[in-house]
Amino acid sequence: MFTNAMGLILADNKKISLGELSGPRALSAMPFAGRYRIVDFVLSNMVNSGIKNVGILTYNKYKSLMDHLGTGSPWSLDRKNDGLHILPPYVNSEATNIAGDEEMAGIIDYLKTSRTTYVIVANSNVVLNTTFDDFIKKHEENGADISVMFNRDGTKYGNPSYIIETDESGFVKDMLFNPQKCSSNKSSLGILCLRRDLLIDLIAKQMAHGLSHFGVHSFVKMFDELKVSAYEYSGTVLRINNVKTYFDASMNLLNERIRNDLFWSGESVYTKVKDEAPTLYFENAQVSNSIVSDGCRIYGNVEESVLFRGVTIAKNTTIKNCVIMQDAHISENCHLENVILDKNAIVRPGIRLVGHRDFPVVIGKGAGI
Amino acid sequence: MAKADVVAMILAGGQGARLGVLTKKIAKPAVPFGSRYRIIDFPLSNCVNSGIENVGVLSQYQPLALNTYVGNGHPWDLDRHNCGAFILPPYQKSGKSDWYKGTANAIYQNMDFLDDCNPKYVVILSGDHIYKMNYAAMLKAHIEKGAEATIAVYEVPWEEAPRFGILNTSEGDEITEFVEKPAVPESNLASMGVYIFTWDVLRQALIEDENDETSNNDFGKNIIPRLLGQGSKLYAYRFSGYWKDVGTISSLWETNMDILDKPEDINLVDRAWRIYSRNPVKPSHYIGAEAQVIDSAMTDGCRIYGSVIHSVLSDSVIVEKGAVVKDCVLLPGVVVKAGAHLERCIVDFGTIIGENVKAGANVDGEGPYTNHKICSEGIVVFERGLEIKAGAVIPGNSMIDSDLEVSEEDNVIARTFRV
Repeated sequence: MFTNAMGLILADNKKISLGELSGPRALSAMPFAGRYRIVDFVLSNMVNSGIKNVGILTYNKYKSLMDHLGTGSPWSLDRKNDGLHILPPYVNSEATNIAGDEEMAGIIDYLKTSRTTYVIVANSNVVLNTTFDDFIKKHEENGADISVMFNRDGTKYGNPSYIIETDESGFVKDMLFNPQKCSSNKSSLGILCLRRDLLIDLIAKQMAHGLSHFGVHSFVKMFDELKVSAYEYSGTVLRINNVKTYFDASMNLLNERIRNDLFWSGESVYTKVKDEAPTLYFENAQVSNSIVSDGCRIYGNVEESVLFRGVTIAKNTTIKNCVIMQDAHISENCHLENVILDKNAIVRPGIRLVGHRDFPVVIGKGAGI
Repeated sequence: MAKADVVAMILAGGQGARLGVLTKKIAKPAVPFGSRYRIIDFPLSNCVNSGIENVGVLSQYQPLALNTYVGNGHPWDLDRHNCGAFILPPYQKSGKSDWYKGTANAIYQNMDFLDDCNPKYVVILSGDHIYKMNYAAMLKAHIEKGAEATIAVYEVPWEEAPRFGILNTSEGDEITEFVEKPAVPESNLASMGVYIFTWDVLRQALIEDENDETSNNDFGKNIIPRLLGQGSKLYAYRFSGYWKDVGTISSLWETNMDILDKPEDINLVDRAWRIYSRNPVKPSHYIGAEAQVIDSAMTDGCRIYGSVIHSVLSDSVIVEKGAVVKDCVLLPGVVVKAGAHLERCIVDFGTIIGENVKAGANVDGEGPYTNHKICSEGIVVFERGLEIKAGAVIPGNSMIDSDLEVSEEDNVIARTFRV
């Protein structure tokens, strides 16, 4: 209720690419689950924990993220005090490249404006619905310098993975990056809790050592000098590390238990409002085991798919195991299977597109097929 | 408050008694409509889309839901610094205080609000119609004709004219007479309840009307005839788009069905004239593996495992496996349990229809809840926050009202709860 923490979200991850899908946008701005962007989950988790000051660290491709976040009003972060802060890279007029230590200096300046004791730092490649109250409480209780959230996914979501090993009292004693073989299945979720003043010190120290890039796991790696506590999260987590895991995560939403864990048993997940019309199902529509968002017009068949807002599925067309993003239009007599169709894509009549469950066909934003 | 050329006033204080239990707890303009809207979204969105950013919402009857819904006007972009949406309830004055006695009196009591805005024109709207209309085009006609008042009219079929307030006009659509529900109509131009007045003319008429103790303080009954009597220039403005009154159970049901049967008429997908609403914070809807959804409209948060045929579902409705929902209007949060079969039912907020309930036009006969005054055409209306007993059988034209006294064996309500 009276959370003494602020939030810092890393909008992108240089180690993660979703191919054509991440061409036009930062990872956190990736559309997900019909009406959300990935960032909505971590942002809602923070807001639902009572955090009122959130900084979002970007370094490029942040236009679509900024369009999405706006003033922060959907997350009740359009505040006179605190609120939402998008932190684009600092570029001073003489600098020719963006990746100098301006990025780090900018974060320090921002952290100094807050008065909270703690900071929750989070990557944006995980989807989960939780609050951080217990995480912060445990962090206070066990006297750790840094706490890192993990679950037992091991390396099954592929790279990048950060596998941690802990001692008997739950403190990190080793961390392995993308290990071939590992003795632990404890995989970091890229979510940290630490004191704000400590974070400022650590960033200053990293800058002094010539580091210019801010990374969550660079702090976990300091387990030799600092007490780094591992906090297990046992709820549903979907990790998005590449196109396959993005597709898997989308298909996992059709699982009732996962959907309930993410949307119905915890707090609300907030997102930008679009004011679309209700979705209309016409006379011959056949839809089964699918997630459908507002503003769709469905004349054809939809099976085991995720439809974003404003999608049209024309007559005699079948969509199976597909992720169809906002305002895509699929004409008559088409058959799409294992396809990810990005925003505004148009599929002309009679097209057949079949991907494999492990290698979905990806059609880029605004493409015409 | 900043000055504004145009101010719109939405009359949203009426009870809407003909909607029966649907307006027991909320004012009519706050009644959900068309899956993701409330009735008041239409006049509010029309205002914003017409460029009118100063909107007073006059509330009186059961104002909590309406006031919460309109809030600071944010969903309609009406949270502005110098203008925006203003909820205007009746208030206590140092002299004589009163409830809003009539539509004209409601505006009269908010004279200070209007004087502060000091507009040239005032648009008077009602909160009980579904339509998309550009008030700016109407205002243009009002100015071009040099009118003192302009009334939007809709050509209704001649046989229906006796149900409406009818305007008789001369050449050039100048209004000569206003007749409320004429037995033998001289014209088929029905008043839409959309008025534009030149403010100083209306201001004077409101003061005179207030001083007339015999007046009902109503726009149609008093203000318009008064202005006509004084020789003011009143013009009719013909509107030919989609326009429906949703003041009765049957018209509310029918207008919801129009979204399915004639989606192009109201055209909710038109991005150039969006209808804005306060959005529920719910995930996209889910259609189960064995579900059937045809000829229907639905929105966020619905979870469908049964059959939904030709129905309009608001957010967060659950239809369980084996349940059949046909020709229904289900309002937010309704749950239809397994095996229930509903036809032509309007179910209000959160009500739980028990397992194997049979209700609606598919059940003949009469029962203790039969209510021909409110319900017709086989429509059954359920109050909000009820749990209907499993296996209950409810014939068409019934209104399930928790305040109705019925014998224990006839009672179909297992419990009531707050939603």
